[in-house]
Amino acid sequence: MQYSSWPKNFDMSEAQVKSPYPAPDPERWLDDHGDYLFKYAVFRLRDDNVAEDAVQETFLAALRAYENFEGRGSERTWLVGILKHKIIDHFRRSSREAPIGEDFDAGPEHTEFFDRPDTWQGHWNADRAPNDWHATPAELIERGDFWKVFDECLTPLPQRTVSAFTMREVDGLKSEEICEILSIKVNNLWVMLHRARLHLRNCLEVNWFRREQ
Amino acid sequence: MAVRLYEKLKHTVRYWLLRNLPTCQQTVATISESMERPLSFSERVKTRLHVWICVWCQWYLEHLVLIRDASRAQAEKAPELMTDATLSTDARERIRRRLTNQN
Repeated sequence: MQYSSWPKNFDMSEAQVKSPYPAPDPERWLDDHGDYLFKYAVFRLRDDNVAEDAVQETFLAALRAYENFEGRGSERTWLVGILKHKIIDHFRRSSREAPIGEDFDAGPEHTEFFDRPDTWQGHWNADRAPNDWHATPAELIERGDFWKVFDECLTPLPQRTVSAFTMREVDGLKSEEICEILSIKVNNLWVMLHRARLHLRNCLEVNWFRREQ
Repeated sequence: MAVRLYEKLKHTVRYWLLRNLPTCQQTVATISESMERPLSFSERVKTRLHVWICVWCQWYLEHLVLIRDASRAQAEKAPELMTDATLSTDARERIRRRLTNQN
């Protein structure tokens, strides 16, 4: 049925031109921000496929929520904001898929670091004790190979411990937020973070700092 | 003579403290928790004293702070610094198809 009041040759694109904001252009988003978002995601998710999915989800959510953006602020900042939520969603989902029991694995305890044959049991074993690293954050961020070692050092840790570590140390989320996302108690979180730090520090020392000197 | 006496005294104090303070294994756990919550007065005193006389735990603390600072700095710059990580051609095509089907 033809509405009589409907103007002849009505063109939707004309209506869009009159809108003060340009129509969303997801293909251009992909070209302009796809790689940036992927790198942002893969540094945190440490898996190419999962990061690709997060980027796709971000663009789809951005299309649905385009009217909320309306050209306020930078397009990239807006997209990164959405991606942050998608990354958290992934951590939340994978934690739900493997709920923790009483005997959940927080990561290796590394009691051997403090194992000594003498009367100083519980103190550092000299072979495993920390050394001076002579390093600053500024020097490390320039070294791509350092971050490869960093990534490899996190790999053997349980998934949930790595997620907790990433949210805490990389993104600086608060303890309560992380506990809510991962559905864990705060004491569990502290144990996980402690084990992750103990393991990562030693692994970086053995596989990076000792080789550098 | 005075120097020898001072050294001996220092050694005795250090030995006594290490024997009576929490061990390194307990101290590194407390150091990690100090990054998550305010320590109690007694925890703070014991940890400070331990770190004061134990260079290994001193370095441990320094390294944890360095790892945190470097991770945050790297996370901010990661998208500019990581030149080798890009969307694969397959992934890019898949996302493009998915996005155009939405319109």
